[in-house]
Amino acid sequence: MTKADFESVVREHQGMVYSIACNFFHNAALAEETAQDVFLQLYEKRLSVEVGSHCVAWLRRSTVHRCIDTLRRSSFRNEIQVDLLPEVPVDMPETDPFLQERLRRLVASLPETPRAVLVLRFGEDMDAEEIGRTLQMPVRTVWSHLQRATALMREKAARYLKEKEDEPVRTRT
Amino acid sequence: MSRFERELSESLKRKEPPAGFANKVIARAHATDKRSGWGWSWQWAAAAALVMVIVGGGVFSIREQRRQAENEQKKEQLMAALRITGSKLRFVEERLAAIRERTINLRMEQE
Repeated sequence: MTKADFESVVREHQGMVYSIACNFFHNAALAEETAQDVFLQLYEKRLSVEVGSHCVAWLRRSTVHRCIDTLRRSSFRNEIQVDLLPEVPVDMPETDPFLQERLRRLVASLPETPRAVLVLRFGEDMDAEEIGRTLQMPVRTVWSHLQRATALMREKAARYLKEKEDEPVRTRT
Repeated sequence: MSRFERELSESLKRKEPPAGFANKVIARAHATDKRSGWGWSWQWAAAAALVMVIVGGGVFSIREQRRQAENEQKKEQLMAALRITGSKLRFVEERLAAIRERTINLRMEQE
């Protein structure tokens, strides 16, 4: 990869790298810093990375790994134990602008691996095989993380919506 | 895809990085290039200086050895010349002593 190739890769894939980091952390400053570091790492290794699908896969893998490393190094950990939460059936009502923000916050509060799986599945629209290759884990494990994390998200979202439904009643009393 | 999953996809959809992000990254990458280039020039300069010191030291050492060998040779030549001169002087002294003795003997015979 030449310097010109690197510049075009940055311009073409900046959104993808930034989005993965932003969805992972739900923090714009941290996402920007992480995305910059990923591209600088690509620049250092540009001679061994080919332009094209190889480069995209490299960027996704490096971004997720860097996000996980940053999270492990950081002092705060806003995690929820997925195993402890029961799956609750949910009827989704009409969405409101706050629901998506709530979902983003919930994603950012998941443990690192299910968080990475969810970000790649729903943010990057990758299938389980691609996620497995990116995170170097079996497809079955990817499915397991997806199901448990989605169940957790459903339960949390339902709790939030129920609180919202109860809000007018509480204000009246 | 269920409705919940659609909501999740929508909430995690692509986000644009801040304006000027790409330019910032490219500038940082070029800055690392310059830093590494500067580092390389320093390394080359240090290596060149080291080579010069080694070569200079070697040349100086060889010259010094040659000078010492020449001095030794001159000293040997001088000693040889002195030895030759000494032996010649002794020979002349012996000849002179012999002549003097013969002269004295002749005078005594004449008297």
